[in-house]
Amino acid sequence: MDEKELLARLAGLEEPAVLATIVSAKGSTPRKTGARMLVGTGGVIAGTVGGGCGEGEVIEAAHELFRGGGPRTVRVDLTDELTSWSPAVCGGIMDVFIERANPDLFTRS
Amino acid sequence: MDALEKGERIHTAVVTDSADPSLIGRRWWRSGRRNGGTLGSPSLDDKVAAALPTLFPPRESRGALSRDFEYREGGRAGNARVYVELHGPPARMVIVGAGHVAIPLARLGDMLGLRVEVLDDRPDFAARERFPEAAAVRVIDFRDPFADTPLAPYDHVVLVTRGHSFDYECLVRLLRMADPPDYIGMIGSRRRVRATHEQLLRDGFTTAEMGRVRAPVGLDLGGQTPVEIAVSVAAEIVMFHSGGSGVPLVDKERVVERFFSRRSPGTPTPSRRATE
Repeated sequence: MDEKELLARLAGLEEPAVLATIVSAKGSTPRKTGARMLVGTGGVIAGTVGGGCGEGEVIEAAHELFRGGGPRTVRVDLTDELTSWSPAVCGGIMDVFIERANPDLFTRS
Repeated sequence: MDALEKGERIHTAVVTDSADPSLIGRRWWRSGRRNGGTLGSPSLDDKVAAALPTLFPPRESRGALSRDFEYREGGRAGNARVYVELHGPPARMVIVGAGHVAIPLARLGDMLGLRVEVLDDRPDFAARERFPEAAAVRVIDFRDPFADTPLAPYDHVVLVTRGHSFDYECLVRLLRMADPPDYIGMIGSRRRVRATHEQLLRDGFTTAEMGRVRAPVGLDLGGQTPVEIAVSVAAEIVMFHSGGSGVPLVDKERVVERFFSRRSPGTPTPSRRATE
């Protein structure tokens, strides 16, 4: 999701939403720093921070914000044992910042 | 949004971690000389503002990174991890020559998030309906091909005109620019590319200047059709930005060979068509 799409989606928000952004990534992660995802109460609205590899954890954390939690950094560890058949075996660690999204998120003065 | 369209360099910053939890989630932005919001401490805002020129190289138009900052507020020291994004003007893919290759290349350029502009001197070819994904389609005069297309260092120019004399005119213009685009590609066989370089030498260009041109443009995929050529050019642009080697990942990682077999190093993975 590039900034043009993000701004258009923020402007058109009709429900509470959370913006998740990869703010740092080390090792093998499916998406790199700067990748974003917009999450609504019903699920992902747009974008991705890596699909199966760690995205579920981020969506869960987003729901804590809907329940009144504050903005925070979620550390997603994708270095599970290969033999576990977990989806989190990509091999890297990433920090995903989650915050409540609203139309003036980037332009507040 | 307006500032983005106007091509301004906009920085946005957000505190993602700090010993002072009241700072987390605070946002600040700067566009030209204007700024707004706060990271929760004027001194931290100043620190980030002062660091902006060093965070992203001037030749980049996009970027995203996290940095740790220390600041003093009311006599107390604090620290914060700040995530900063640079939203510059979108990098363009300027395709000169609106022929067979241009059509799939314009689509791929758009898919890669580039602002696609197509130039040709033939109105029938440089026609809007042939390039629905392009942001601009221009009929040009090859005596001054970029007259209406000012270029930035982060733009990409791909020369795929119908004749090498036209490609050459464009190339000379590009190389004489004060700050030419970093990615300049020109299509052509080895023989025609060599002829182009011989002409460049005769016209007084140095080998260093010649080395700036990616000719023949694209990765060696062995494809022949316009779509295959466009894929090879698009792949080279991805590689240019991401710093990849262009070799098949299977040959780069050599997982089977490294961990499971005694196959001698360097044996290429077979393809459907053996190298002739």
